[in-house]
Amino acid sequence: MAIAATTRRLSASERLRRSLGNGRVTAALILLPPALLIFTLFVMLPLGESVWYSFFNWNGYGAPTDFVGLENYQRIAGHSIFHKAVGNTLKIVAISILLQMPLALLLALLIYRKTPTNAVFRLIFFLPFILAEVAAGLIWSFVFDGNYGVTASIAQSFGAESFFILADRDWAFVAVMTVIVWKYFGFHMMIYIAALQSVPEDLIEAARIEGAKRRQIVRYVQIPHIKPAIIVSAFFAIIGALQVFDIIIPLTNGGPSNQTHTIVTYLYTFGLTRLNIGFGSAVGVILFFAAITVAIFYQRFFMGKDKA
Amino acid sequence: MAEVRLNHVEKAFGKFTVIPDMTLTVPEGSFTVLVGPSGCGKSTLLRIISGLEMPTAGEILIGGEDVTLEEPSNRGISMVFQSYALYPHMTVAQNIDFGLRLSKTPADERERRVAEAARILALEDYLDRKPGQLSGGQRQRVAIGRSIVRQPKVFLFDEPLSNLDAALRTQMRVELAQLHQSLDATMIYVTHDQVEAMTLADQIVVMNKGRIEQVGAPMDLYDRPETEFVAGFIGSPKMNLFPASAIGRDDAATIGIRPEHIRTDHENGDWPATAQVVETLGADTILYVTADGIGDMTVRLPGHMRLAAGERLFLTPDPEHLHRFGSDGRRLTS
Repeated sequence: MAIAATTRRLSASERLRRSLGNGRVTAALILLPPALLIFTLFVMLPLGESVWYSFFNWNGYGAPTDFVGLENYQRIAGHSIFHKAVGNTLKIVAISILLQMPLALLLALLIYRKTPTNAVFRLIFFLPFILAEVAAGLIWSFVFDGNYGVTASIAQSFGAESFFILADRDWAFVAVMTVIVWKYFGFHMMIYIAALQSVPEDLIEAARIEGAKRRQIVRYVQIPHIKPAIIVSAFFAIIGALQVFDIIIPLTNGGPSNQTHTIVTYLYTFGLTRLNIGFGSAVGVILFFAAITVAIFYQRFFMGKDKA
Repeated sequence: MAEVRLNHVEKAFGKFTVIPDMTLTVPEGSFTVLVGPSGCGKSTLLRIISGLEMPTAGEILIGGEDVTLEEPSNRGISMVFQSYALYPHMTVAQNIDFGLRLSKTPADERERRVAEAARILALEDYLDRKPGQLSGGQRQRVAIGRSIVRQPKVFLFDEPLSNLDAALRTQMRVELAQLHQSLDATMIYVTHDQVEAMTLADQIVVMNKGRIEQVGAPMDLYDRPETEFVAGFIGSPKMNLFPASAIGRDDAATIGIRPEHIRTDHENGDWPATAQVVETLGADTILYVTADGIGDMTVRLPGHMRLAAGERLFLTPDPEHLHRFGSDGRRLTS
């Protein structure tokens, strides 16, 4: 026993010596601290500060002194506009997954093959994504304008009364979601195109020989093959939905009567512009934990399984 | 089981003509091997038969029926790809019965056919595995299994063994030959490996630059190659080909002699030569020599032979086995 123990201790120290010798430990000691420092400075500290401010009634000037405990969180929980904002955010998630992703997949299936025409279409479909969000919002605010916008002229050409969709309580958010789908479908499409191009042509030909129709090839061969890409794209869609902000500000600025807020525009409007930094911080903390929760659950249930 | 007939089939990709004009009959129940160097159009021809490529002109008949414009799935064919083309997300069983599921074959019939294919190919223990968990040879069997269950009239193989290592290739070659015997089906097999062609085929089609050089039984091609190209392509080591003038003959442009039809001697013979490299394979010895005034030659001798590089020797060809080719590269008979 004693001999065996000695042998084991020796081999352990030998292992340590070797791992020091092969440079892995040294590499970690050199490379890890800068990353950790930056992560701490720019992620952990601001996050900690936000949590700290969220317990104060604070307008951002001077040091926070008016400690209110969880009052900010209580106010948020009872605020109907926050509920609306959460609802809208969930609507964006839903529309992204149910409309935007299928649309992107459909277009990707149509133009994934490498031909000159397809390259042109790819560029056209990808253009909205390249455009700055604020610019896209502004462009669409002109399109939707009831006096001189494109929608107005279309309505007039049909003899209908022109309408102000962005000022309509019931329809404004539909317009916002249209712009979001338009803005981001190209991104998902590109992910799918890259994935579809990696599906071996042999598999598709084998399926054709087996009697699979175009639709069946998509369903049984191509989609299963690009499943990892779809999972990643859905993840981007969900996290992106939680972050929608700069399209809404130029389009509706959260209006009419706060009907088109998302969680982030809610944070901005009720936290920052009204100088309720403590309140805004509380919204930020909620949003952060929502995003973290989604990320962890998503990783665990979809992405992790895929690796196995 | 069906005959496959190609009538004046042409194939061009843009301005580039791969197959200028091809007429070929694959007899019912035969194992026909299309063989030729890379880029000779043999895979394209197979894809045209399968329906994956449309011919630019001409017609394809399978079992007497014109299938030129038919979809691949309506031609009664199945195909085994070089890459196996197995669906990675499906199990072996699902891969094998994919086509049957698409054609809505009843479940009990599907199970029966999968079980039968699995038995023939010794895949019973792997039906629940994914292709990623199988070895190359097993994957190849799954791909063949997928072909079998469709009960096609014609099996097509596109270089099915080229991704396997040498030992496995030999084994699979034997299995394919057995499979052909047991299924008694028409098989068309593409390869660039002339050993596969010689061992598997009842009929070999030697192709070069999109044209047929010769069609025939393996031994016919070996004993009586119709063209210089076939003479050089069929047989390993290659046939020795050299200008007739080098040995003072004027009744041909090129003379060919197989390595095993040359005798060697240290004292006397027709062609003095110098040994360059000696390969001792056990059963026989391959001698690479330079014959004076003729050029490089390969000689195959039975058994072992001790010979050093640079040693002088004499070669004597067996006159009965001299092949004569004209200036157009075709065999001279008279």
